[in-house]
Amino acid sequence: MAAPFTLRKIGVPPNSANLTEARRRVFDFFRAACRSIPTIMDIYNLQDVVAPSQLRFAISSQIRNNAHVTDPKVIDLLLFKGMEELTDIVDHAKQRHHIIGQYVVGEGLVQNTGSKDQGKSDFLKNFYTSNYF
Amino acid sequence: MGVGILASRAIRPASRLLRSQPSNLFLRTIVSKPELQSPEAAAVSQPEPPKNQILPPRNPVGGARVHFTNAEDAIEVFVDGYAVKVPKGFTVLQACEVAGVDIPRFCYHSRLSIAGNCRMCLVEVEKSPKPVASCAMPALPGMKIKTDTPIAKKAREGVMEFLLMNHPLDCPICDQGGECDLQDQSMAFGSDRGRFTEMKRSVVDKNLGPLVKTVMTRCIQCTRCVRFASEVAGVQDLGMLGRGSGEEIGTYVEKLMTSELSGNVIDICPVGALTSKPFAFKARNWELKGTETIDVSDAVGSNIRVDSRGPEVMRIIPRLNEDINEEWISDKTRFSYDGLKRQRLSDPMIRDSDGRFKVVSWRDALAVVGDIIHQVKSDEIVGIAGQLSDAESMMVLKDFVNRMGSDNVWCEGTAVGVDADLRYSYLMNSSISGLENADVFLLVGTQPRVEAAMVNARICKTVRASNAKVAYIGPPADFNYDCKHLGTGPDTLKEIAEGRHPFCSALKNAKNPAIIVGAGLFNRTDKDAILAAVESIAQANNVVRPDWNGLNYLLLYAAQAAALDLGLIQQSAKALESARFVYLMGADDVDVDKIPKDAFVVYQGHHGDKAVYRANVILPASAFTEKEGTYENTEGFTQQTVPAVPTVGDARDDWKIVRALSEVSGVNLPYNSIEGVRSRIKSVAPNLVHTDEREPAAFGPSLKPECKETMSTTPFKPVVENFYMTNAITRASKIMAQCSAVLLKK
Repeated sequence: MAAPFTLRKIGVPPNSANLTEARRRVFDFFRAACRSIPTIMDIYNLQDVVAPSQLRFAISSQIRNNAHVTDPKVIDLLLFKGMEELTDIVDHAKQRHHIIGQYVVGEGLVQNTGSKDQGKSDFLKNFYTSNYF
Repeated sequence: MGVGILASRAIRPASRLLRSQPSNLFLRTIVSKPELQSPEAAAVSQPEPPKNQILPPRNPVGGARVHFTNAEDAIEVFVDGYAVKVPKGFTVLQACEVAGVDIPRFCYHSRLSIAGNCRMCLVEVEKSPKPVASCAMPALPGMKIKTDTPIAKKAREGVMEFLLMNHPLDCPICDQGGECDLQDQSMAFGSDRGRFTEMKRSVVDKNLGPLVKTVMTRCIQCTRCVRFASEVAGVQDLGMLGRGSGEEIGTYVEKLMTSELSGNVIDICPVGALTSKPFAFKARNWELKGTETIDVSDAVGSNIRVDSRGPEVMRIIPRLNEDINEEWISDKTRFSYDGLKRQRLSDPMIRDSDGRFKVVSWRDALAVVGDIIHQVKSDEIVGIAGQLSDAESMMVLKDFVNRMGSDNVWCEGTAVGVDADLRYSYLMNSSISGLENADVFLLVGTQPRVEAAMVNARICKTVRASNAKVAYIGPPADFNYDCKHLGTGPDTLKEIAEGRHPFCSALKNAKNPAIIVGAGLFNRTDKDAILAAVESIAQANNVVRPDWNGLNYLLLYAAQAAALDLGLIQQSAKALESARFVYLMGADDVDVDKIPKDAFVVYQGHHGDKAVYRANVILPASAFTEKEGTYENTEGFTQQTVPAVPTVGDARDDWKIVRALSEVSGVNLPYNSIEGVRSRIKSVAPNLVHTDEREPAAFGPSLKPECKETMSTTPFKPVVENFYMTNAITRASKIMAQCSAVLLKK
């Protein structure tokens, strides 16, 4: 069993041979991310802003966005990017407003289950985004 | 010393050189052939082209078509060995154009009279002792014209050299650089070096107004501007003063060019002597992206090319359209583009309880409007389309308002009682180019000079070409052609209709009489009576016939013809006074005081003009340079604008806003793309879908019912007070403000 890559080791991770192994890697990544949530909340002082469960939800929803992907190489690449992002956050390379804007529910991620856009047609959604569609 | 002595040694007779051989290896003897000494000798030694050569077929320059008025009168001439048939009155230059040979010229312009003073068009004609000015020489049958012989080339080089002698070295600072005829022709036809070592002359600059920048030192005295001003614009402002090298183009007295076509002189000038003052030093022509679109400042629909650099419109240039505007555009069209950058609405806004506007998002703005529209009764909803609205947005507005249960949707400029059943009653039935065939004009309540400058230019052309007679009924005004002022009001019209006026005889004897009625008359209460009188005049003088329909109505706004075709007419006079929800789609000329104080007004437009101050909600829309819209001009010719620059801020296209609003209000319109809107338009007014085609009116005046009303005696009033400020864009433009301050005749 290949060792799950830790936060400190950013070497070139080996390619997954098949979907099962990629899937295992995804869960390993999710576990690593959730385990680093207390560190993140401590670094960026998010104690009053957000609950750890919300951050876990944010991470899991981002992973779920790509749940339809079946190619192990694509999954590897997405994991690499996710790992990169996680390392940046834990290394304090980002700032508080980045975390709040990108991951805190209500501002950043969640548009998909919003009440306003549920029954709207494509025309209206495109209209609200821009003039050119 | 040095090289000079060596060179002089080389030219001297051979004896001394022959002795000292080795050191002369770097000397180059000058060799010459008789062909290089003079053009005549070169012509002699040219090899004869083989006879009966099969030459490739040639197309006329610019894809032009040749019109033979009389098929038997065609002459055959030979251009560079190629035989070409031309009509009888053609000049040598026109014959060469038909043959596909573009002859360089400076003073010749196809729409102006022939001057023949630049001498750049010289070509060699067999059996002629010297090269002939092809622009002035009529083509005679059997003429053999040669355009690429050494004589012709030498002539062009010579002319070029003379022109450049007194021309200042202004290319880096001249606005015409990159599109300058002098630059292009000197590269193509000029010699590579000049021999002028004296001082160049300079000329003092003339002040022609805030639109035309003059640097008269650059003038090459081609007199194109003089001929344009006197022939096409009809004003005798410019002239040539002095003689010889002291010639200057100017106005002699300190006069500004007040003509509404004065901007065309900028296009006509082949050098940078007359350039656009607002465009001075702003951009070079190779940085600009040209977009071919349509102008909407009046109902003519002149074809323009919008030159833009990035998101900004830098200038507007006319495009050739023989039927509508030929090659000219009015000053308002040309110079109002800087109004597109000022006073623009870029975000949706809602008026707060303290009376100030607050920026909101599209969701909130549309939600608010959608709420309020359901709280009013159906017939209290009023929609008014503006003068710059395109057909698509008017269609969607009408559909939306109708589906909300109201019939009160109309376009600005159409008063109560204007019915759009018969198209002949609001179109220019003889078409703008058809006006050239008229020989008597009767202008009723219209001043074409300020209402539609291109129609006026066409009338001026007709008057000049065939001495047509023009008479007008209306307030006394300046015309740039001879016309008689018959009267100021409906009384004169009644006299003509009853046959008592002396002008009736002129109308009766005319072969193709044309009556032009201004759309300003549609706003009068006695409109029916006046139009009935006009139609009786038309009937009495055989104005409407199968081969010629001279009964014309000159509309004022770009959106009017399309609005009337789509059925946006005002049904009841009290609609605005009893409205509780008013939707103004770019409508600025609405009398804001008529709107009740408790009505909810939504303004959708691109400029913060007059009506915005009354609005409760502002929805920003795109201007004509930013959207693809269909416009119909006053003769029924449908054209489309093309987006040249992106929309400002958070603005959207007009029809998209109304469609989104309808969805938010719960009304389901059956289309959600522009093709859908166009297919809806096709079912209402199919001529609006056939772009670049003119749809003439199907029926004539015979179908109209009798009119029982009487005419009032109030004289006709002018519709356009200030030519330079007629719509939201021109009112926001700084150049137009300068023009109206300086150029209007007081």
